[in-house]
Amino acid sequence: MRPYTLIAELSYRCPLRCSYCSNPVDWARHRNELDTAAWLRVFREAEELGVVQLNLTGGEPLLRPDLEELVAGARALDLYTNLITSTVPLERARLERLRAAGVDNVQVSLQDAEAESSDRIAGMQCFEHKLEVAKWVKDLGMPLTVNFVLHRANLDRVGEMISLAEELRADRLELANTQYLGWALLNRQALMPTREQLDCARALAAGAKKRLKGRMEILFVTPDYYADYPKTCMDGWGQRFIVVSPDGLALPCHAAHTIPNLKFDNVRDRPLADIWMQSAGFNAFRGEDWMQEPCRSCERRTKDLGGCRCQAYHLTGDAAGTDPVCKLSPTHGLIDAARAETEVLARLRYRSAKIPIQTAPSEPSHGIAS
Amino acid sequence: MSEIIERLRSEGEKRYHDRHRYHVLMHEGRLTREQLQQWVLNRYYYQTRIPIKDALILSKSEDPRFRRMWIRRIRDHDGEAEGEGGLAMWLRLADGVRLDREEVAICRSVLPGVRAACDSYVELVRRRSLVEAVASSLTEFFAPDLMAKRVLAWEKHYPWVDPGMLSYFRARVTRARQDSTEAVAFVERHATTPDLQDRCVQALIDKTQILWQLLDSVYAEYVKPKLASKVKLRYDRKADRTMLLYPEKGLVLNPTAADTVKLCTGESTVRDIAIELSKKYSNATATIERDVISLVGSLAERGLVLE
Repeated sequence: MRPYTLIAELSYRCPLRCSYCSNPVDWARHRNELDTAAWLRVFREAEELGVVQLNLTGGEPLLRPDLEELVAGARALDLYTNLITSTVPLERARLERLRAAGVDNVQVSLQDAEAESSDRIAGMQCFEHKLEVAKWVKDLGMPLTVNFVLHRANLDRVGEMISLAEELRADRLELANTQYLGWALLNRQALMPTREQLDCARALAAGAKKRLKGRMEILFVTPDYYADYPKTCMDGWGQRFIVVSPDGLALPCHAAHTIPNLKFDNVRDRPLADIWMQSAGFNAFRGEDWMQEPCRSCERRTKDLGGCRCQAYHLTGDAAGTDPVCKLSPTHGLIDAARAETEVLARLRYRSAKIPIQTAPSEPSHGIAS
Repeated sequence: MSEIIERLRSEGEKRYHDRHRYHVLMHEGRLTREQLQQWVLNRYYYQTRIPIKDALILSKSEDPRFRRMWIRRIRDHDGEAEGEGGLAMWLRLADGVRLDREEVAICRSVLPGVRAACDSYVELVRRRSLVEAVASSLTEFFAPDLMAKRVLAWEKHYPWVDPGMLSYFRARVTRARQDSTEAVAFVERHATTPDLQDRCVQALIDKTQILWQLLDSVYAEYVKPKLASKVKLRYDRKADRTMLLYPEKGLVLNPTAADTVKLCTGESTVRDIAIELSKKYSNATATIERDVISLVGSLAERGLVLE
């Protein structure tokens, strides 16, 4: 067993305030960011373990003044470096420096296909700037991924999103339906799309995928609230991915540290190889021994590995339970109820440094980690 | 539709050359001027074989009614007078893509692989029975759609081609419909035993492979594959193998595929790559060339290689 991808969350800070942010709701507590030397050591240790792909993300990785240095370090290790960014703030000269340092792909997040809605979702005026950066990326000969997170307010514009990605000459387009964790879970009532919206968007994406085959790769991530079975989250707990949080926690996924009572180690304290192989947190849900019924005797268990542990915990309070998204789960009713909430006109709560207090009456009381 | 025609249709459709990478590139407007010209030049040799194979079909029939019907194909191709008919129209197409029509007409620059494929079609018709020979012409089922698509794509993507010269393709849309209706009726009436039906299906499959080979030859000679800019080739020392890395994904290459991809620099044609590989692996260049075409094509379909 070896990891292939290191997801380096360089900072939880971000100028955008998207209400579906996957960062933990208490992100502001994790202020003690790793320094340059620590990150470079983590990259080296990851490469020695077998990592070949590096995602530089956050928050907003551009807020790290040492980003160029980190990219150069990754290049020296021959890692495939994907810079995942909101583009705020970025000047063309810095993009050129990042290219020279060795960024292999730039992933630009867009919030919608048009300025007004996009800026409303992001909580700041940045749409035009993002388009400009996307053009610079292509003008500089770099590959471009465009990413849209989909939800009720923008799902009807998937056609326009595809056209925009074509105009921007994107090499890859991610149409990723919101995963309801972190801020997205808090705002679930306002974000949850209807089945009609989803079916229509999926059909558009499938048509474009066929039409643009070989020219633009299109990835449509189905929201698991509308699926019968859960996703194989992160290709399995501790199987292929290592996430390192801004303050140095090595995790099997972005949200693993929001599950209480799991012990995760910090890269400041232990070599990455040790953590990967021996830490309690990474081993907690490897294999099948931890499974309960109905997973334990289910023939799908080797396929989806019981789904998402974080989702199981945040919706049911039991991290070792079946992901409630699964129609075989005894708690699947929670998902049916959540889908029924598409009629509710809920207020979006923007991401902020203040830890939100859970108020929605229809949420289970243990819905959000505090 | 009878069962045998249904079978011919589905077997033929699966293998029809509209899906060949060279056609995909043509229809997406991604062929260079030279690549388009070379297709016109090489395909002309195929056009010259059509009246000859139709004459062979005629010679196999004892039925004057059949011969009266089939002879129209030869007339369509050769015309009733100098400068008329399908062959002459193709030479006008050669003018349209700015080729020297004399050079095209004498067929001396035709690629050896293209020549071999076209000659093998004539041989197929010569050797097999009348009904099999007629069945082999049933790629006409799919021709109208391909022609219609081609006209639209050329008008849209290759504005430098004189649009008046596309008349051959336009004419073929209706002609091919009529031709295939007649051929279908004949095969239905005469392929009466399971054995005959199997042979008819085989003849059509062989024909689709001939059309495919023709494009393979042009593709090998005129496509210079290059890794897409988002792709990085990396040696994975953990497992002693080579990987293609691209955003969020990786593809493990076997040693031959790795050697092939390393040669995809945009400088060498598929044929050059095959020749280079044949020095290292002792297989015949032709076999290696087929493997290279198939690898490059499948990587191109994933957007990992540019053709």
